Amino acid sequence: MVLHGVDLEVRQGEFCAFVGPSGCGKSTLLNLVAGLDHPTSGDIVIDGRSTNTLSSHDWTTMRREIIGIVFQAFHLVPGLTAEENIALPLMLRGERQRDIAVRVDELLQQVGMSHRRRHRPGELSGGEQQRVALARALAHRPRLLLADEPTGNVDSHQGAEIMSLIRGLAQAGGQTVLLVTHSAQAALAADYTWTMCDGRLVSRTTPSTQAVRPS
Amino acid sequence: MPSFMKIVVLILVSHLRQWPLRTVLTIGGVALGVSASVAVRTANVDVLSSFEQAVLTVAGPTTLEVTGSESGLDEQLMTRVRAVPGVTSVSPVILQTAVQMKGGQPGQAIQVLGLDLLAEFNTRGFRVSQPTTERQMIDMIHPRSVFVGDKLATDWNLSVGDEVHLLIGTGGCRCRVAGILHGESAQRSSWERLAVMDIAAAQVTFGMVGLVDRIDLVTAPHLSVDAVADKVRTVLPPHVTVERPTSRTSQVEQMISAFRLNLTVLSWVGLLVGMFLIYNTMAFAVAQRRREIGIYRAVGMTQGRVALLFLIEAGLYGIVGGLVGTVAGMVLAQQLIALLSRTISDLYVPVSAGGAASLWTGPWFTMGVEGVLIGSVVSMIGAIGPSVDAGRTTTVRALAPGDYEASQQLRVGRLALTGCALLGVAGLLSWPGPIQGIPVLGYMATLCLLAGLACLAPLCVTGGGGHRRSIGSTVGLSGVMRTIAVEHASRNPGRNGVTVSAFMVGLAIMIGVLVMVRSFRHTVEVWVADTVLADVVVAPSLWLRGTEIGAVGRSLPQSWTSLLSSIPEVAAVDTYRDVRMTVNGHRVAVVSRDLRLHARWSRYLVRRGDSSEQLNRAAEIGGLLVSEVLADRLGVQEGSILEIMTPSGVRPFPIVAVFYDYSTDGGKLLMDRALYQSLWHDELVTVFPVYLRERASLDRVRDRITEQLSIVTNGGLPPLVISNTELRKEILEIFDRTFLLTYVLEAIAVVIAMLGIVNTLITSVLERRREFATLRAIGGSAAQIQQLVLWEAIYLGAIGIALGLIGGGLLSLLLIKVINRQSFGWTIQMILPIGSLVQAVALAVLATVVAGYFPARWAARQPVVEGLRDE
Repeated sequence: MVLHGVDLEVRQGEFCAFVGPSGCGKSTLLNLVAGLDHPTSGDIVIDGRSTNTLSSHDWTTMRREIIGIVFQAFHLVPGLTAEENIALPLMLRGERQRDIAVRVDELLQQVGMSHRRRHRPGELSGGEQQRVALARALAHRPRLLLADEPTGNVDSHQGAEIMSLIRGLAQAGGQTVLLVTHSAQAALAADYTWTMCDGRLVSRTTPSTQAVRPS
Repeated sequence: MPSFMKIVVLILVSHLRQWPLRTVLTIGGVALGVSASVAVRTANVDVLSSFEQAVLTVAGPTTLEVTGSESGLDEQLMTRVRAVPGVTSVSPVILQTAVQMKGGQPGQAIQVLGLDLLAEFNTRGFRVSQPTTERQMIDMIHPRSVFVGDKLATDWNLSVGDEVHLLIGTGGCRCRVAGILHGESAQRSSWERLAVMDIAAAQVTFGMVGLVDRIDLVTAPHLSVDAVADKVRTVLPPHVTVERPTSRTSQVEQMISAFRLNLTVLSWVGLLVGMFLIYNTMAFAVAQRRREIGIYRAVGMTQGRVALLFLIEAGLYGIVGGLVGTVAGMVLAQQLIALLSRTISDLYVPVSAGGAASLWTGPWFTMGVEGVLIGSVVSMIGAIGPSVDAGRTTTVRALAPGDYEASQQLRVGRLALTGCALLGVAGLLSWPGPIQGIPVLGYMATLCLLAGLACLAPLCVTGGGGHRRSIGSTVGLSGVMRTIAVEHASRNPGRNGVTVSAFMVGLAIMIGVLVMVRSFRHTVEVWVADTVLADVVVAPSLWLRGTEIGAVGRSLPQSWTSLLSSIPEVAAVDTYRDVRMTVNGHRVAVVSRDLRLHARWSRYLVRRGDSSEQLNRAAEIGGLLVSEVLADRLGVQEGSILEIMTPSGVRPFPIVAVFYDYSTDGGKLLMDRALYQSLWHDELVTVFPVYLRERASLDRVRDRITEQLSIVTNGGLPPLVISNTELRKEILEIFDRTFLLTYVLEAIAVVIAMLGIVNTLITSVLERRREFATLRAIGGSAAQIQQLVLWEAIYLGAIGIALGLIGGGLLSLLLIKVINRQSFGWTIQMILPIGSLVQAVALAVLATVVAGYFPARWAARQPVVEGLRDE
């Protein structure tokens, strides 16, 4: 999908949601911000730094240091347990075992998965898998959390719980959140929402204009 | 069915487009397996049929052949045979070998046939281009006239009237080309590469005056050939044989049967490993298309047809692989034929290579059909398991989200138990003896051994059964990747077990054969060091060319004994005669020498007692020493009596000792030269082992010998004067040449196994694109992904190597103690060739890393977004 004239600024600590019909370019936008895809023109500035000149290796470092991603399809490593999946980004950064263990325990508690820590993805429900995926995305305390349809593969009840967790944890950690969603309910968790259509940003709605906000 | 075939074609084409590399690898593996099998079979058939054709072409209308010992038959016997009722024609034949001399150097060896040309000009199936002159008849029977086959004339650039310098025995002969021979048959004819002389000229040229090699008989067509043969035998000495020309081919066939069988079995190893490759590919294909299978089932395809779909796909791989393999096999056969004929000539009888041209004009269609059949049958057998599994797919589960394969737990424990049971069966099968001289149970034990280890492979892949690792305990970044890799590999014991098995089989065979060959070589080295003690060996100039040069070329006159003894620095000269005879239906080497002299200067490795004592005793009582191979074949031992047909009738010989010998496959008999000469009246010597006095100068003695003997060689090449070191080296070179073929076949099996690993890893990488993309998305670098795939390859490779070492060790035991012992009868001292084993393992590690490197690099380069989208 090609994006056209997308020009926006998201400030540190803001929670921004993107909504719009399938194929409008929401996920592409997120992939570009994550460095998983690269723009043909234009620039993405993260933390005051232009990303146009970043190499593949620089992007890897960026994702390892300041970006966390939550996927619709969870994308947990199937052979690893919940705690091992959460520990993975920290290990990729080469952190000390003791520090990793402490951080993993903390995250498991925060997402309410301590009792399922030794279970593998195949043994977890969709909601549980997404909690683990969220914990993994936040493990290295990223400044930017990208969530691509995090409630897309779970039921509405679990979806609400996931969104609540994202909101709570991100707020607590001072993270900037970019959320892509189909769900108007999920978008309510955001500080403001951009509506996209055919690769363009169409309108921006703020919480004051929204009828309902999650508790 | 036609509509089903249309579906099959559609599906296959789509799969081919989707996974072209994997398809190519699989077809390549099958093709390699088929090529080894086709090459060995073609080479075996070609070498033997060349021999058969040569025998039958030259035999012409002959119905019976009368032959004696290597020293020839008295030509007077023809008079007796002619008088037998039912014999309509009697023809003397001399069949010897000459070597073309070119610029003073020996060139190609050819067979020279001596015939009664005046009587047989139009009966043998050849015609002659000869100038019509008044002297035509005189030219034909002139002692220096030779007729050469047209191919030979072309190769040597000869025409009528040219002079050709031939080396015959120890002397030279300058012959004149009297005419060119053409085979009458439209097919390839042996006449094209033969030289023909008149019988009288041949007798003079080959030093066989009054003797012939063979007497060819034509019997009356209305009489039974066997009945006439019986009558002919009554007028001949007892040691003379009367048989049909075809029986010579069957004798040779029987002689080399064990050698050919072992070679053929080794060539099947490639097919066996190829079968694993097909299993692997199809198992992956089924796993990858599980959802697709669910859709087929949902839209009404029956279980049987789903299974058939995969079987047909495997069959097609086999057909294409078979075709490619046939072509590759024919190309490989070109090399093998030369190697094989050289080996058979070294070890058994002189056979000539069929020639490249004949191979390409040979039975191409038949070979192609055979190759395709082998390829498709092997492929379809390999695909049975995965195809049945595909047919049994549970539709609902296949269509539901989630990992279908994860729900299909392989019964690793039960499989491991079966493996242990198979290993036990292999042990039991290795105890009984051969069946009709063939180690059938030994081969079955080998199969059980490999199958048993293959059944244990999945258990090894799981790391001992369900052991759960924690990456929390791993240290360092490579540790994380290693753990994920191991975790992933061990989660799929079924498919990875097959990969490991294929690698293990290739490696086990490589190591097994390596240990066997090294042990055998060590045994031969010890044997040579202990028994080849003569300081110098004086041999015919072309002796090192083995049996290729024929009987006359391998003989020296006894008169040289005194010549050699007269050299002051020579302490003793032995006279060693080696002729082939049939003893109790076995073609054996009968060696005669001065046993007392040998007891003083050298030794035999006797099974019991002291060599000198046994040699002296044999000389004293007229006894024999028998090689262990022959003792086993004849069922005799020390103290037994062996009856041998001699020119003066059957004579009993006491067996004084049994000795270890590795010089011939057929076995060897040793007797005192005086006894041999008194019975066989053979004055010739094959080689002279010469022992020097202390402090004698080897070089000086060699020069003296060469100088003295070149005077008596009548323009031929001076004889070889080989030092002890050179002789030992030559023996080991023949040994190494013999096993060169084995190495080639082994390498093919290992390459197929490597293809298996590449195939598995590529498929695994394809299957895990999403996982790799996720790792990249959460901060994993391309290098780390590469590391991950490499670790997986190393993990699988390490298990394959460990099992391969165990399998190789056990296989070498089977090869040395069972298969080789039962096939050839040799006792081989087993050694562990540490250096060679380290090399083999290093090669296997390298193969693993190379096989893992490319898929790893590919995995690291995959776009992350596409990987994350991949479902």
